[in-house]
Amino acid sequence: MLWADFWIILALTALCTFLSRVLPVALFANRELPVSVMRSLEYIPVAAFAALVANDLITPDPFSAGLIPAVLPFIALIPVIVVALKTKSLALCIVVGVAAFALLQWVATLTI
Amino acid sequence: MPRFLKKSFKAALPIMVGYIALGLPCGILSDAAGMSVLQVALLSVILYSGSGQYMIASLWLSGLNPLSIVAAVVMVNLRQLLYASSLLKYLKRSPRLAAIIAASNVTDESFGINIARFQQGGWTTRLSFAVNCWSHLSWILANIVGALIGSLVTIDSSIAAFAITAIFTCLLLMQKGRGDYVLAAIAAAVVVCVCNLTGLSNLAIIIGAVAGIIVGSLARSRFESESDASRAGDA
Repeated sequence: MLWADFWIILALTALCTFLSRVLPVALFANRELPVSVMRSLEYIPVAAFAALVANDLITPDPFSAGLIPAVLPFIALIPVIVVALKTKSLALCIVVGVAAFALLQWVATLTI
Repeated sequence: MPRFLKKSFKAALPIMVGYIALGLPCGILSDAAGMSVLQVALLSVILYSGSGQYMIASLWLSGLNPLSIVAAVVMVNLRQLLYASSLLKYLKRSPRLAAIIAASNVTDESFGINIARFQQGGWTTRLSFAVNCWSHLSWILANIVGALIGSLVTIDSSIAAFAITAIFTCLLLMQKGRGDYVLAAIAAAVVVCVCNLTGLSNLAIIIGAVAGIIVGSLARSRFESESDASRAGDA
């Protein structure tokens, strides 16, 4: 990649991403926010994680690679949900999820 | 090693494993897009955005012009505004500059780990920044190694990507199970799916999350008064 193009991309994306990361903290670190706003902020984690999971599961073109790649993550997520509810352990969820996903992918290649 | 480094390392470990698995293919893809190792390192250090760096490499490969790439990445990263707003409550216990520094390298995953720890209690701005830095370090190293081995290998990044999905799923299920939180999650997920299927994928996460926040806030009074009533009943 030419350095001229690279610098445009790096400088602008990095500046805007940095501002997205720090502006709310920089602006409101020394101020009290109204109670109603603080209450609404409590929903950010649950809403963001649900959005991120949904974004991973339903891609813009879910069936571009066929039915199986579209359905496979949903099935692999079942053991992850069980482990998450039982143990609340991130590490275990990763191990179980990746194992289930890899296993299902391997089975899928055998059956096609 | 100081205690806070050990403690934060332990907390950051799941992210670091995920970032090594995801950073390697990111470096490989960046190399395929014609970036030098130095460019990959600069992006990983200064931009430090997984989705952003994947987008830059793949959109550059598809021949999109630099300013359009910038616009796409900036839209996707607007969701960071929400993380900073959510962390504000905890970071503002520290001096403003320390809070800003601790917010400067937050990612989806490190936000998730840190907010869970803050909610449990006993977590500090310094520990959260240390978690961000461990994650950042693993991301930088994995990207550089990926860019170095670049053309030698091809790997399937879908498995690594699913490790991150598993992290988000676990973090989601660790949230409160009260009705308004469940409704917020459902609203967010549904709106993200609608956005992704209607060509709004660049803004899907932030639109979905904001929809969830609105639905949760609107539903709050109902579920709060219910739990208050049951508490009163217990007493």
